[in-house]
Amino acid sequence: MLTSLYIEGHTLFHRLSVRVKLACLLVLSLLLFAVSSLWLLVPAFALSTGLYATTGLSLREGFSRVGFVFFTILFLGVVNLFLLPPLEVLVVVIRLMTLVLFAATVTATTTIDAFMDEITVLLMPLERIGLVRAADVSLALGLVLRFVPEIFARYQAIREAHRARGLPLRPLTIIGPLIILTLKDADMIAMAIDARGFRRH
Amino acid sequence: MTTRDIVLIALFAAIIVVLGLIPPVTLGFIPVPITAQSMGVMLAGCIIGAKRGALAYVLVILMVAIGLPVLAGGRGGLSVLVGPTGGFIFGWVIATYVTGLIAERAVREGQSELRQFGGFFLASVFGGIVVLYAIGMPWVSVVTGTPFLTVASGSMVFIPGDLVKAAIATLAARAVLVGYPLLPHRA
Repeated sequence: MLTSLYIEGHTLFHRLSVRVKLACLLVLSLLLFAVSSLWLLVPAFALSTGLYATTGLSLREGFSRVGFVFFTILFLGVVNLFLLPPLEVLVVVIRLMTLVLFAATVTATTTIDAFMDEITVLLMPLERIGLVRAADVSLALGLVLRFVPEIFARYQAIREAHRARGLPLRPLTIIGPLIILTLKDADMIAMAIDARGFRRH
Repeated sequence: MTTRDIVLIALFAAIIVVLGLIPPVTLGFIPVPITAQSMGVMLAGCIIGAKRGALAYVLVILMVAIGLPVLAGGRGGLSVLVGPTGGFIFGWVIATYVTGLIAERAVREGQSELRQFGGFFLASVFGGIVVLYAIGMPWVSVVTGTPFLTVASGSMVFIPGDLVKAAIATLAARAVLVGYPLLPHRA
């Protein structure tokens, strides 16, 4: 149900470390907003598109992943055409698309494991001052992945219950029971975690 | 932070993910279909309170960032965060926190039903609409160069739908408060 957006492969981008990729993304976003010459933006866009195309995504999947964000960018671009000089609009559209394609490339070439390792490193300073514990973050993430299918099954059961009674599906009559049924388990899950000594200090 | 708080944060984040899997519902009088996930901010703030609600959204954004398709319509990944509407996504954390702060102060057990409804509705509208748009709209304007007033007037299309969501979240939050109160025991 929650399959990662990672695509298996052995390209240069797959082999780069997450830290380098995230640093590139950060630097690229700063550079892109500093530059407004099409002579630089168009090659950058071509490069981003090229990188994204070599991740091993099928054409259809590649389009569908960035499609929604591209739609918003183009929609705002069309609105901008009535308000700003056309050249400026083109600069904005290309800049944003370049950034989005690069970000999508990072996502497609990085595993969840690698991301989590990096997050643990990034959390270290916060952990040292006692603000957050990296182990708690991974525990919470694990719980979410574990419970999404279960909560979805609960939603389906509630939907069937509506059908059996001939009731229309309304957000209100779904959300209330779904939340109460789910959160009622919290105490048991917390007890089970404590019983296993996961969070010993 | 107790283990129970962590579990509540994780379960609510999971609920937010599942709300994104539910097909959008069209209400007769509003043209835009309602995605259940977009009610998450109001629900999280009103049901598990400011701190836990905001942390549930930090967890959701973390999942988006590491490449899990947890947003409505199976969207996710860093591309969503760097897009023009990224401000609305990052804004969820603060919006939930504000919703929770108001709900924690305005709603108590043993109040009259009407006052509880009023408190939740106020919290949902202020946190889930006013605060969220106050972060999301300037972001769109800065990133795309569209004048702020144009973005603001364009966003007005979504306000009626958002008010309906606030009303639904209010009713749901009060149902949970009666069935399984969590808000009074703050994290």
